Amino acid sequence: MTTTAPLGAEEQTGSPAAEADGRRRTAPGRLRAGNGLVFVLPFLLVFGLFMVWPIVQGLWMSFTDSSLALRDTSFVGLDNYTEAFGDPDVWSSLGNTVLFTVISSVPLVLVALAMALLVHSGLAGQWAWRLSFFAPYLLPVTVVTMIWTWLYQPELGMANQLLDALGMEPVGWLSDESVAMWSVAALTVWWTVGFNFLLYLAALQSLPTTFDEAAALDGAGAWRRLWSITLPQLRRTTGLVAMLQILASLKVFDQIYILTKGGPNGSTRPVLEYVYDVGFTGYRLGYASAVSYLFFALIILVSLVQLRLFRRED
Amino acid sequence: MSSRLPAQGVPAVSDPVRRPSRRRLLRNAMAGAGALLAAGPLSGCASPASASGASDLSVWDLFQGGDGLLMDDMIEAVSKGAGGAKGFDVDRTILDWGPSYYTKLAMSAAGGRASDVAAMHLSRLAGYAPGGLVDAFDLDLLAEHGVSEKDFTPAVWSRTRHEGTVYAIPLDVHPFIVFYDKKAAEQAGLLDTSGELAPMGSPEALLEAGKALAEATGQAGILFGHVTDTAQNWRLFAGLYAQTGAAFDLPDGGPPEIDVDAAVRVVTLMTRLFDGRTNPNNLDYNGALAAFSSGRGGMAMLGEWELPTLKKSGMELGAAPFPQVFEKPAVYTDSHSFVLPHQDSPDPARRREAHRYVAQILKQSLTWASAGHIPAYQPVLAEPEYAALEPQSSYADAAKVAVLDPPNWFAGAGSNFQNRMCQPLQSALLGNTTPEKAVRQMVREADTLLRQPNPVA
Repeated sequence: MTTTAPLGAEEQTGSPAAEADGRRRTAPGRLRAGNGLVFVLPFLLVFGLFMVWPIVQGLWMSFTDSSLALRDTSFVGLDNYTEAFGDPDVWSSLGNTVLFTVISSVPLVLVALAMALLVHSGLAGQWAWRLSFFAPYLLPVTVVTMIWTWLYQPELGMANQLLDALGMEPVGWLSDESVAMWSVAALTVWWTVGFNFLLYLAALQSLPTTFDEAAALDGAGAWRRLWSITLPQLRRTTGLVAMLQILASLKVFDQIYILTKGGPNGSTRPVLEYVYDVGFTGYRLGYASAVSYLFFALIILVSLVQLRLFRRED
Repeated sequence: MSSRLPAQGVPAVSDPVRRPSRRRLLRNAMAGAGALLAAGPLSGCASPASASGASDLSVWDLFQGGDGLLMDDMIEAVSKGAGGAKGFDVDRTILDWGPSYYTKLAMSAAGGRASDVAAMHLSRLAGYAPGGLVDAFDLDLLAEHGVSEKDFTPAVWSRTRHEGTVYAIPLDVHPFIVFYDKKAAEQAGLLDTSGELAPMGSPEALLEAGKALAEATGQAGILFGHVTDTAQNWRLFAGLYAQTGAAFDLPDGGPPEIDVDAAVRVVTLMTRLFDGRTNPNNLDYNGALAAFSSGRGGMAMLGEWELPTLKKSGMELGAAPFPQVFEKPAVYTDSHSFVLPHQDSPDPARRREAHRYVAQILKQSLTWASAGHIPAYQPVLAEPEYAALEPQSSYADAAKVAVLDPPNWFAGAGSNFQNRMCQPLQSALLGNTTPEKAVRQMVREADTLLRQPNPVA
């Protein structure tokens, strides 16, 4: 703290002096920190009670046979983890979560970018585009899934009627094991792309126009300016959007739970639904905790990889 | 709320699982605190009713929609003091139907401060009685209020017990039945002389009935919604399987004792029946319901609880117990029952009143029957008012051959077991797998569940 204090800057050449100086300054420094503590205390309390404590408690539970329906629990060591490693449902649901993350994150970034570029390029009726791209994001998950359940209806749904009008075979949007996850991803893109779109649009609108103008004067065409000027300037935004999106997609649960309950034949069941199924419906909180800690480890791994990629870019 | 996030420069969330902003959280927390403060003095005012002689009782149930309104009527009737008896002051809590209801019920009972009375599917009792999550009924006390074992069918009563003690009192039996369009069925020659669905007797007859109905309607024959549903396939399978007379036993620790040949016969029939031509094989629950009520099929395999919805369609609606097509009569059912969720230190006077309440509600079963449910309390079935209920009285016999889920902690309505059984069945019906493979997967899934440590005992 003392090193960044502006007053101490010129005194830091001699180390003993700086140390003495630092000691003298701790009193007001501590006072300031104490004041700050009062302001963050309410947050820390809530954070500790609802984030830190459950995380610690959950970790403990993962080593017990804790049941939702019984009060006495006993320590079972690594039994839950051994069971989880040998449980094919854990791996298939983890696989589903990863698949969803890949097939939803890529379009959620690319489509958002395309929409933002289109709107930013000066289409007429800006507000209408912004509104229609962002509006789905405001819908609650139950409404979104209700709409799409009917769109995906095999007989009456719009999706199959469109295919029918084009003379194509109907698709089992939610009933075909190889299609269902893509249907969920399509719904998710429609629903949440608006947020990424806004992030991109805000970034585009705050870009300095000087480079673009200079390049235009030098005779660069629109595509050339997009590839060489605009996109490189958006790189940090893309990194941010991608990171937020991947973490959000890994957490997928609610739309799948309402839309398909993890079916058909488990092909859309994300790992969080499996945790919910074994923990809350099946009462096995200890085992569910162990599975969620495995997932936690995966998320940390992904975050670390992302952090490294970010650092390298900087 | 969300639209403001970017303006704040804090892109906190872009997830499909959206969280409230911190500001909203605080606002809600304060509103919640305010509500608590306001509720304090209010709840103090709620007791005058009990001062006037009515007994306080808290009741949990999962009856929504039409069922919920009927239950309201029944509670109102007993609260006023039906038949000159002392009334009740009932604090009713309605929770969402489904797995989450049973999570909440189990948690409240594990905490020892549950409601005085709660509704429960009889098929779930095996997950509650052994672990002490529900307390036993005092049969002498019930008998004082005119309810005893002889008032129920043996098929249902046998499931109210755990190790000889009665833990549940059934309110109704709600079977999985067939609804049909009387005109289409008559045209297809499926009715007997009294205008009711004639017995079928063989798988071939059921297949023929589907074809005849398809011809009569010019559209689909038999409708069945199962895609992404976590119970329908199991209901259909379990009823038909029970008709083969084979046992479906799931002993703790496994392996499951399932007659694979009989199961394959059943699944094969299901796939032949819903072949995607005569009868669609790819409908979901609401799709099938909508198709049937808009006249795009001659028959629908559904739970009787859809009766109020279907009555609105305006068709000439018939109903019958699920037809017997294999060797033995059997109809897949469940039963809404009352239980006494475990309380650590129950007030004996309140417990007595809970017994009296259950007995009184049972006597209101005629109201309950108007939604389609078959009253479990037999004296009501003998009343002429019940016989006059159409088409309810047409399928009342289903209660005599009722088959419920196997009595395991993981089975029953809204359970993972039903969900897991439905998945391979759905695949088979959609043609993604063969009946043999589907049955093998069902046995495997059952085995996995049996090997899991029992979290309630």
